[in-house]
Amino acid sequence: MGTTAAAETEGRGEAVGEEDGAILQLLDSLDGYISLMGSLSSSLRQGWLELSSARHSMGNSRISSTLFDMKPHSSATTVDLTVSTGESPSHDADQAMQPHFSLLKWGSRGDEKSPSVEVDGKTPSQASSCSGRTSCGLLLLKTDDSDEGGISATIYPAVAADNQVRKKRSKALSMFGALVPPKLRVAQGSFETSLEAIIEIANTRSTILSALGRLQTVDLRS
Amino acid sequence: MGGYLEAIVRGIARSSLLTAADYNNLCQCESLDDIKMHLSATEYGPYLQNEPSPLHTTTIVEKCTLKLVDEYKHMLCQATEPLSTFLEYITYGHMIDNVVLIVTGTLHERDVHELLDKCHPLGMFDSIATLAVATNMRELYRLVLVDTPLAPYFSECITSEDLDDMNIEIMRNTLYKAYLEDFNRFCQTLGGATAEIMSDLLAFEADRRAVNITINSIGTELTRDDRRKLYSNFGLLYPYGHEELAICEDIEQVRGVMEKYPPYQSIFAKVSYGESQLLDNAFYVEEVKRLCLAFEQQFHYAVFFAYIRLREQEIRNLMWISECVAQNQKSRVHDSVVFIF
Repeated sequence: MGTTAAAETEGRGEAVGEEDGAILQLLDSLDGYISLMGSLSSSLRQGWLELSSARHSMGNSRISSTLFDMKPHSSATTVDLTVSTGESPSHDADQAMQPHFSLLKWGSRGDEKSPSVEVDGKTPSQASSCSGRTSCGLLLLKTDDSDEGGISATIYPAVAADNQVRKKRSKALSMFGALVPPKLRVAQGSFETSLEAIIEIANTRSTILSALGRLQTVDLRS
Repeated sequence: MGGYLEAIVRGIARSSLLTAADYNNLCQCESLDDIKMHLSATEYGPYLQNEPSPLHTTTIVEKCTLKLVDEYKHMLCQATEPLSTFLEYITYGHMIDNVVLIVTGTLHERDVHELLDKCHPLGMFDSIATLAVATNMRELYRLVLVDTPLAPYFSECITSEDLDDMNIEIMRNTLYKAYLEDFNRFCQTLGGATAEIMSDLLAFEADRRAVNITINSIGTELTRDDRRKLYSNFGLLYPYGHEELAICEDIEQVRGVMEKYPPYQSIFAKVSYGESQLLDNAFYVEEVKRLCLAFEQQFHYAVFFAYIRLREQEIRNLMWISECVAQNQKSRVHDSVVFIF
C-alpha cells in the first residue's frame, strides 16, 4: 500500500511537472508571438513610408498598382509547408501534426543547381516524399523523421547565390522601371523583412497551438 | 509680351501658393478629412469640396493637379507666340512620362483605359491610346509619335528591338535628354532675361537628372557607355563631370564628383554619408530656391516655368503630408516638405 501511494505521488509529480513544462512553453511562445507582431508592425510601417517616399520622388504615375505585371510568371519567393507525421516522444497525434512553415526567398522551384537561400527547414530535394504543389506556390511535404533539432539555415555557394538574389530582386522592381531610386530598394528590403516575420509568426502560432494541445492533454490525464 | 499673363502669375497666382503657416496647419491634421477641411479655405477648396469621405491620398493629388491644369490652360489660351510655344514646351516632360506609362503598362498586359486614367493631364495628346498597339520603337514612332511634338526627339531612339523594361527606360531618358536640349535651344533664341534664367534652371535640371541616372543605375545592367549617352549635352557637369559620373560605382564616388562643383557642394553637404535618401529633398530645396529667384527679374517667360514648377512642388508637399497623416507617421512629415517663398 505504501508502494502504491508512493507510485501515485510520483505519477502526480510527473504530471505536475509536465503541466508546468507545457504552461512554460505556451507562455514562452506567446511572448515570442507578441514580440514578432510588434516587429512586423514596425517593419510594415517603415516599408509603407519608404514606398511613399519613393513615390514622392518618382511621381505617382511611376509607382502605382497600375504598373503591376499581369503576365503569368513564376513566383520568386515561395512558402514550404512541412507537416511532421513522425513518432514523437509523447505519442501525441496532435503534436505530431504540427505544421512548420519555411520561406524560400528568390529561389527557383525544383532546380537543385540553382542556388537559393533557405531561411528555415529543408529543401524540397531533401524531403522523403513530395505531395505536389498547390496553385498558389505552396509545396506540401511529408517527412519520415521528426527532425526537431531546431532552426537551421542552409546557404548554398555564397557568391552565386548573392548574384542570383540581386538579379531577382532587381527583376521584381523592374515593373516600375529599370532605373529605380534607392528608396524603392529600401522599401523592398523592409517588406522582405516583414515577410520573414510573417513566416516566423506562423511557426510561433503553430507552436502555441501545439503547446495548448499538449496542456489540454495533460489536464485531461490529471 | 504677355503682360496680362505675367501679372496673373506674379499677382494672383503667386499669392495663392500655400504659406509656411498653411503647411504648419496641415502638418497637424489628424486625418485626410482634416486636410480637406484646411484646404477648403485655399484655392484648392472648390476642387476637393465634392469629394466624399473616406478620402484617399491619390484623390487629393488628382484634384490639386486639376487646379494646376486649369490654370495652365487659361494661360495657354491667352498666350500669343512665342509664349504659347514656351508654355507648350513645359508640358513635353509629362508627355514623355505618359508615353512611357502607356507602353510599360501595355507590356505588362494592363488595360489601356486604366493606364489613361493614370496619365498626367498636362501630357495628354489625341492619339495617346494608340500607343498600346506598338511592339517596338519604330512602330511607336511610325504609328503615333510622328504627329506629336515628341517626334523630333525620337531620332536617337528608333530601333526595331522589342520593347522591354530596360529599352523603355533608355527610351524615356533619351527622349528627356533630347527634350531638355531642345527646350534650352529654344530659350536661347528668345534671348534676354528669359534665356539667362531658363539656361540656369534647365542646366540644374540636366545636372540633377545626370546624378539621378547615375545613382539609380548603380548595380544594374546599364553599361557605362549607355549611362553616359543618357546625360544631356549641357549643364554645369558637361562634359567633364559626366565623364566622371559615368564610371561611378557607388554613391560615395558620386559625392566625390559632385563636391568639386561649388553649387552642388552645398547640396551634398546637407546629406551625411550613408543618407543618400535625403538627396532628393536637398535637390528639391535647391530647385525651389532657384525658381523663387526667377521672380526677382521682370518681363521674361521664366516666371511661367517657375510658377508651374512651384505648383508641382506644392502638390508634392501635399502628397507627402497626406501620406504621413494617413499612415500615422506625422513625426516624419518634415522630411520632405519644402517651403516655398
